[in-house]
Amino acid sequence: MNVIITPAMVGQVVISGMLAGALYSMVALGLALIFGVMRVINIAHGTLLMLGAYTTFWWFRLLGINPYVSLLVALPLMFFLGMLLQRTLVTRVVNAPELSSLLLTFGISIALVNMAQLAFTSDVRSVEFLTGAFLVGPFALSKSRLVAFAFAVAITAVAFWFLQKTKLGKAIRATSQSSEVAMICGVNVRRIHLFAFGIASALAAAGGSLVAVVVAIQPEMGQVYTFKSFLVIVLGGAGNYPGALLGGMLLGLVEQLSSLYLTTQLSEAVAYVLLVLVLLLRPTGLLGGRAR
Amino acid sequence: MRDGDLLEIRDLTKRFGGVVAVNRCSLALAPGKIYGLIGPNGSGKTTLFNCITGLERRDAGEIFFRGKRIDGLRPHQVAACGIGRTFQIIRVFPELTALENLLVVTREPFEVAHRRAQELLRFVTLDRLQNEYGGNLSYGQQKLLEFIRVLMRDPELILLDEPAAGVNRTLLNELLAAITRLRDQGKTILIVEHDMKVVMGLCERIFVLDYGEKIAEGPPAAIQGDARVVEAYFGR
Amino acid sequence: MRWGIRAALVVGLLLLALYPKVATGYGIQFMLQLFMWVALAQSWNLISGLTGYVSFGHVAFFGTGAYAAGILITRHGWHWVTGSLMGGVAAVILALVIGYPCLRLKGPYFAIAMLGLNEVMRVLVSYFEGLTGGGSGLSLPTLHASREIYYAMGMTAVGVTGLAYLIFTSRVGLRFMTIREDEIAAEAMGINTARYKLYAFLLSAFAPGVVGGLYARDQGYIEPISVFPLLTTITMIVMALFGGKGTIWGPVLGAVALFVLQELVWARFLYLHQILFGAIIVVVVLLMPKGILGILQDRYRLPRTV
Repeated sequence: MNVIITPAMVGQVVISGMLAGALYSMVALGLALIFGVMRVINIAHGTLLMLGAYTTFWWFRLLGINPYVSLLVALPLMFFLGMLLQRTLVTRVVNAPELSSLLLTFGISIALVNMAQLAFTSDVRSVEFLTGAFLVGPFALSKSRLVAFAFAVAITAVAFWFLQKTKLGKAIRATSQSSEVAMICGVNVRRIHLFAFGIASALAAAGGSLVAVVVAIQPEMGQVYTFKSFLVIVLGGAGNYPGALLGGMLLGLVEQLSSLYLTTQLSEAVAYVLLVLVLLLRPTGLLGGRAR
Repeated sequence: MRDGDLLEIRDLTKRFGGVVAVNRCSLALAPGKIYGLIGPNGSGKTTLFNCITGLERRDAGEIFFRGKRIDGLRPHQVAACGIGRTFQIIRVFPELTALENLLVVTREPFEVAHRRAQELLRFVTLDRLQNEYGGNLSYGQQKLLEFIRVLMRDPELILLDEPAAGVNRTLLNELLAAITRLRDQGKTILIVEHDMKVVMGLCERIFVLDYGEKIAEGPPAAIQGDARVVEAYFGR
Repeated sequence: MRWGIRAALVVGLLLLALYPKVATGYGIQFMLQLFMWVALAQSWNLISGLTGYVSFGHVAFFGTGAYAAGILITRHGWHWVTGSLMGGVAAVILALVIGYPCLRLKGPYFAIAMLGLNEVMRVLVSYFEGLTGGGSGLSLPTLHASREIYYAMGMTAVGVTGLAYLIFTSRVGLRFMTIREDEIAAEAMGINTARYKLYAFLLSAFAPGVVGGLYARDQGYIEPISVFPLLTTITMIVMALFGGKGTIWGPVLGAVALFVLQELVWARFLYLHQILFGAIIVVVVLLMPKGILGILQDRYRLPRTV
């Protein structure tokens, strides 16, 4: 490529990477929760994100109110939907062989995606709200991405505070480490599963809500986010919640940096290639989770 | 550590994170004897077994079998050298029949393998259950099956991990008689066991581990009288 | 095998061989695709039903075969028979390259790695436009060979099932199964699990590669998204599960049952069909994970080699 790469371009890319990375971290944290607590591989994670995006879209389309306010609706809505899914279906494949959870969550995903197609049609939608960018020195910061970043950081911070400081959060972390020991200590593990899935769904939906203002919305949009969340988990180490954060930022940076040196098509592949490479070279994650 | 030792372990060390499971452990087995390996829970006995059989990679030290180094070999290669083992938690193949459990571990021609399998099944009176799935057998039957499965490959050194656990008196006597017979045939046996009556009655020489270190070694009488052993088991 | 069953099989194969003489174009297409699904489901069974390693990106071999054959046919004038065989070879090479490192991964990680592999292949194929036509796809020179492809697909399906029969009824098959039963114990008993895993993986990659090539020839046009879809992997898995993975006839039964159902009943209502398919997946996973033959095996004490 004959493009000269200036420090400003690199700086821009780093910033864009971090903006995207925070979003990935938040969504991946949800996936990490599900895998850590229940040993379930949730292929429907991106689908939950998609539902969050549509919630925001319809909120904005029908009510005309600031789409970011829809977070107040999307989060609890998806929290309860998550719990419902967990209670009825996912609970049966907790701690089951991976084939069961893979297939079950795929089945849920395909059912939800197709219901979305029926209900919302496959037309590509978008939320025209915050367009344009702030210009800070040589850098252009897309407004919607910046706001998304801010919310993602805030929500993730709350999630971490919850995990570290509250009783329920600690119970969740305990269950991730060893559900048998947690049970002996009096933790109602089934309720933990319920909450963990609910929280994870809410996190995914938040991602969808925020991203609805930035990207195109359509029923199949979730799949790529599922893969990226897998990658973040693999990078950060399964069951390693802080690892998910760093993994997300890393992915954001790598993606943006590679778009600088590679065509956009190939940089799409970067996420996937990275996934396979990390699995082969460091299956315990770059930050070392447990190689269970 | 003399020439002619079948198995020799030198300064074996194995760590798991910050925990030292086996700490500079050294021991040697001469051929044709029954050895015991005892120690309180968590003293590193099963880890030692795992290091010998290649299931765990040791961090330091060497393991010699018939004079050749075997540490670093993969488990199936260690088995091919002539070392067989049973497991603390029974690992019978549940969806294979008892007969298939035996046939699958050897590469000998079918007739030879089948004949030996039948002999072994009769030996522990499992022959009428040979077409039963391994998972459907009772605990004691699975234990016997795992025992004769090890014998299918005719190993020189047999490592038994808690063979007496959960086994009723009659079965136990059968097992002990079988082990003695194996020794008489020239095999070497190393047993991890918690049942002291079994250990003291069966073993000719006993190693005692505590916190991964060998703290005592000798014939049963010497071990029973050893103050360090008593302390290890009953606390300080 | 008892001679009654043997005779029935021979008659059945004979009928299948004669079918094109009386069938309509649609009928041939139908059976051709059915054979394809039998081959796919049975191949997945050879790795995942046999060794327990869940290949969640198995369609990668199908797509690789499709493109390998497509390129050879289009750009190098190969005949579609040899082209498809090379598709199988290409798939095996891919399996060799990634199998060796990937099979060291434990359960869930292996599944995710295979998932990622499938996407990597899809994007790679899109990228090398000069070779593959990229996103606009690859068009093969026109050829009407439905009947011949029917036989080719049929032979592949029979071949893979025959292979399954040979493996499942032999001691070698037992050794593969010990990997599924208890890999650690298998290793301790002297079975080189790494090598056996790889063998199973290679064997399971060949037929998908071949039918991928045949599919490319039959359709006349392929593009990345059509030959690397996750849905195909899931479908072959659900077919194998429905009939009973780990058995010889399970994948055949599952492929026939689900494909017939799909074609006759659901293809008319596209979205409903997909939702129903999702429901079927859920039902199979939760209520009948052992599949029909598995349930029958338990209930009526059928032999494992059914």
